[in-house]
Amino acid sequence: MKSRRLVAAALAAAASLLFTACSSGGDSADGPVTLKFQSLSDQPAAIAATNKIVDDWNKAHPDIKVEVVQAGWDGVYDKLITQFNAGSAPDIIHYEAAGVVPFAKDGYLADLTPYLSEQKKTDIPKGVLDSVTVDNQVIAYPTELQSYVVFANRALLQKAGVTIPTGDTMTWDQLREIARATTRDGAYGLGWGLSSPTAAMVALAPGFGGKYFDGTGTDAKISVGQGEMALPQLVDAMAHQDNSILPVTLTQSGSNALAPFYAGQTAMTIQGSFQAANIAKDAPAGFDWVVLPPLAGPAGPAQAANPQTLSVNKDSAHVEQAAQFIEFFTNTENLAALNEADALIPATTSAREALTTKLGAQNGWKEILSSGQYLTSAPYLFVDKYAQWKDTVATPAYQKFLAKQIDANGLSKELTDGWNSINR
Amino acid sequence: MTLAADTRAPAPAPAPRKRRQGTMARSRRREAIALVMPSLIPILVLSVAPLVMGLALAFTDARLVRNPDYDFTGIDNFTKLAGNSFFWDSLRIGLIWTVGVTVLQLAASMGLALLLNSGLKLQGLTRVLALIPWAMPPVVVAIMWQMIYSANGGPLNAFLGSVGLPDDTNWLGDFSTALPAVIVVGVWVGMPQTTVTLLAGLQQIPQDLHEAAAVDGAGAWRRFTAVTWPSLRPIVTSITSLNFIWNFNSFSLVYVLTEGGPGGKTMVPVLFIYLEAFKNRNIGYAAAMGLVLVIIVVLLLAVYLRSQFRDDRAERGR
Amino acid sequence: MRVLLRPAQYLALAAYILFLGFPLLWLISASVKSSGELNSLTVSLLPQQWHWDNYSDALDRQGLVHSAGNSLVVALVSTALVIVIALPASYVLARLKGKIRAAGVGWILVSQVFPVVLVILPLFLILRTIGLADSLAGLTLVHTTYTLPFALWMLQGYVSAIPVDLEEAGAMDGAGRWTVLRRIVFPLLMPGIVATAMFSFVSSWNEFFFALVLLQSPENYTLPITLNMFIGGEGKVSLGPLAAGAVLAAIPSIVFFTILRRRLTSGLMAGAVKG
Repeated sequence: MKSRRLVAAALAAAASLLFTACSSGGDSADGPVTLKFQSLSDQPAAIAATNKIVDDWNKAHPDIKVEVVQAGWDGVYDKLITQFNAGSAPDIIHYEAAGVVPFAKDGYLADLTPYLSEQKKTDIPKGVLDSVTVDNQVIAYPTELQSYVVFANRALLQKAGVTIPTGDTMTWDQLREIARATTRDGAYGLGWGLSSPTAAMVALAPGFGGKYFDGTGTDAKISVGQGEMALPQLVDAMAHQDNSILPVTLTQSGSNALAPFYAGQTAMTIQGSFQAANIAKDAPAGFDWVVLPPLAGPAGPAQAANPQTLSVNKDSAHVEQAAQFIEFFTNTENLAALNEADALIPATTSAREALTTKLGAQNGWKEILSSGQYLTSAPYLFVDKYAQWKDTVATPAYQKFLAKQIDANGLSKELTDGWNSINR
Repeated sequence: MTLAADTRAPAPAPAPRKRRQGTMARSRRREAIALVMPSLIPILVLSVAPLVMGLALAFTDARLVRNPDYDFTGIDNFTKLAGNSFFWDSLRIGLIWTVGVTVLQLAASMGLALLLNSGLKLQGLTRVLALIPWAMPPVVVAIMWQMIYSANGGPLNAFLGSVGLPDDTNWLGDFSTALPAVIVVGVWVGMPQTTVTLLAGLQQIPQDLHEAAAVDGAGAWRRFTAVTWPSLRPIVTSITSLNFIWNFNSFSLVYVLTEGGPGGKTMVPVLFIYLEAFKNRNIGYAAAMGLVLVIIVVLLLAVYLRSQFRDDRAERGR
Repeated sequence: MRVLLRPAQYLALAAYILFLGFPLLWLISASVKSSGELNSLTVSLLPQQWHWDNYSDALDRQGLVHSAGNSLVVALVSTALVIVIALPASYVLARLKGKIRAAGVGWILVSQVFPVVLVILPLFLILRTIGLADSLAGLTLVHTTYTLPFALWMLQGYVSAIPVDLEEAGAMDGAGRWTVLRRIVFPLLMPGIVATAMFSFVSSWNEFFFALVLLQSPENYTLPITLNMFIGGEGKVSLGPLAAGAVLAAIPSIVFFTILRRRLTSGLMAGAVKG
């Protein structure tokens, strides 16, 4: 009896605790303001660059102090969703567009449109700004971008008698030709780490006119047609007809496809542009590499943009000050320094130009930075069930297609049917 | 709720014993409650309460949004779930994974525990070495095994190549090898706890029971079945049930190794629920999935445990 | 027969140790390789050049040592709490007969089955209301709570493996119940307690998900969180420093095992039950 009463009391206490409303109370004092900035930086140079920007701000604004809270990329999504749902999210949130748009739709992010200066607005390419605009509200400032570029082993290309393309862009057909020509002497033309194929397929589809989705939110419809199937079919042709792609790379991650590239087993490799820094560091001494011009499909050299972003928590007590800080963080000088440290492409045109002037002479930077101008917003960012479709339908379907377990028709059917069944 | 010693105490006369037993039993009961209470309170507040809240959501259409506005929807989530073929596919994979890992873990650990109990040389050292997998956090385990399984830069393929076997299998990337490869890692991770548990159980068996059996002329195998196994049985039941549950619920290992691929071959149900709850933010639907999983696992365990308890009772009656 | 058995046993043991220990060996090997070598196609146990920088890099980053300290405190305290709380309760549970025991035991199992993902949000809210979110004390409490069912389950298994006859024999010899428990049951239970303590320490030391979600301030981070920060965006892994950090992180666990391994033997049962 006593034990049962005790149990009941414990339950009641727990229940009453739960029903107490708990919102994160911000201090509304007029005194000095402290902002929590949750920053995700994984390598020392970027952390140093971020801390310098924060220090500069704190010195210039003693009344608005920014405090950096380091968190890791891996697992940040779980952290953010718990923080938001429990009302304990930081003031300034660092993440990426694809991840942050759903939070915006759920109502967690402040509308930054009134704080976005005219100058900044014109400085950000429209395609990139669109990728952080939800329902006509700007919910984040874009900071850093990456694009898919082709790294090539100059020595192997020259040995095969290939002229290195030097124009503003190059076509996928050109890539295919070069791959064919350099598949010889036991080496392959191309190594492409496609163990997670969906990101690459969706990001590169705009070059072929592919959109994958029509509409936004819960009303989005999938459309898998010519534009969407062109790239998978090209990869399939290169891999299984031309035999110019090193087969093992199709089931490896991008980083793992670098080892064959360094060893000369592949003449080229398609990678995220940030790998330039790693290649500079890890390639064997005397390895002569170049970045080929940005790839263009029939519809142009466009790629889907997924910038890293800085957003403000809607429940923050100091939205305006937080936005001021972000404006400062994304000024030309700071953004250029950060992107240099991270080997990424700045989101503002002025920073991009500044970096081109500074680093253009270094291997690969010019081509990579110029590829940044072709990044544009893509529908998948605004589609509600994209993450689930990607992980449970699209990735397995592409993997099966590349392993020749299903053909092109099978692929497009699986992508579409899978989407429909997720959305029933 | 009486303790065994009570009922078997010899008694001079029935009447006085009953009165004494009454008060003794009540104080025993209070004592028992006092012993159990400290474990109940944290469990109630930090385990039962969240669980009940989580389960309750299975009957709503709740989503993880800033201003949650959800309604009670009865069994709608469950009817939707019945038609969700991805979920049931993942359940099949989950059961293969779980049974595979649990059974292999038990067999391998039993062998190792017996060896570690055999008085071989360097016993202290080998007992510590056997615990190595325990010393690694999950993120490290996954990365370590990815390195080992690497198709062109890993020691496994290098070794196979050196003895003339094919050396270019992408263990985690090939459709037919991915699930077995991940199961091997699951066994590796789980061996220390099972081995330690079984070893402790083996240690509890008195040495003279073994000696008596040996004197009676029993060989190694007979000694195992007649002396070791009966004593070990409750412990085997405990650790197997727990392993079953943990393996079923383990998703971070699979997720980091293969992300559920290739081709969905390693998409276990808890990963599926994670995607539904956190990525799609459909916490209500995900809770319904969780509830279904709980019911299935509990049913399976009930079948297993009942067979064990029945054998237990049969043994005691012998 | 015996002559053949021993070498076979040693061989089997060697095979096991190889299976269990090789990955760590490979990890140590990775921790002294440069990133150039790690990203090349060469496969060898010994590095081409010993690259000790990975260790200094790992130690410099993100407060590895401090978070290891946090992990140590949380693991030790939660283990102590678990043993102290679970021991008496599991004794009661094991000696019970009938339906109540089945219900208790059944509940313990069920509570382990529910996916943590669905429990994490209500749990975070509850902790915040008590004021223990983002604190090592809160994390310790959570680790204790979630290890308790396992400890109860395991210990009651060990207790039920100890024949009741022993306790009765002690009682018949005139010893009081507490003496019986202390002198007879407890020593026999020692291997089981040690096994449970090891498990509790390790699951707390390696635990990642709760720590990730419940801890906000970097000074509270535990070791797995810090190690995880070596993995950057787009799945970039700084393999060398991560391997070095992982090797360092494995050391306390291995030390703990070495200290406890002797307690895993019992041998006190010999002669306890005479016909």
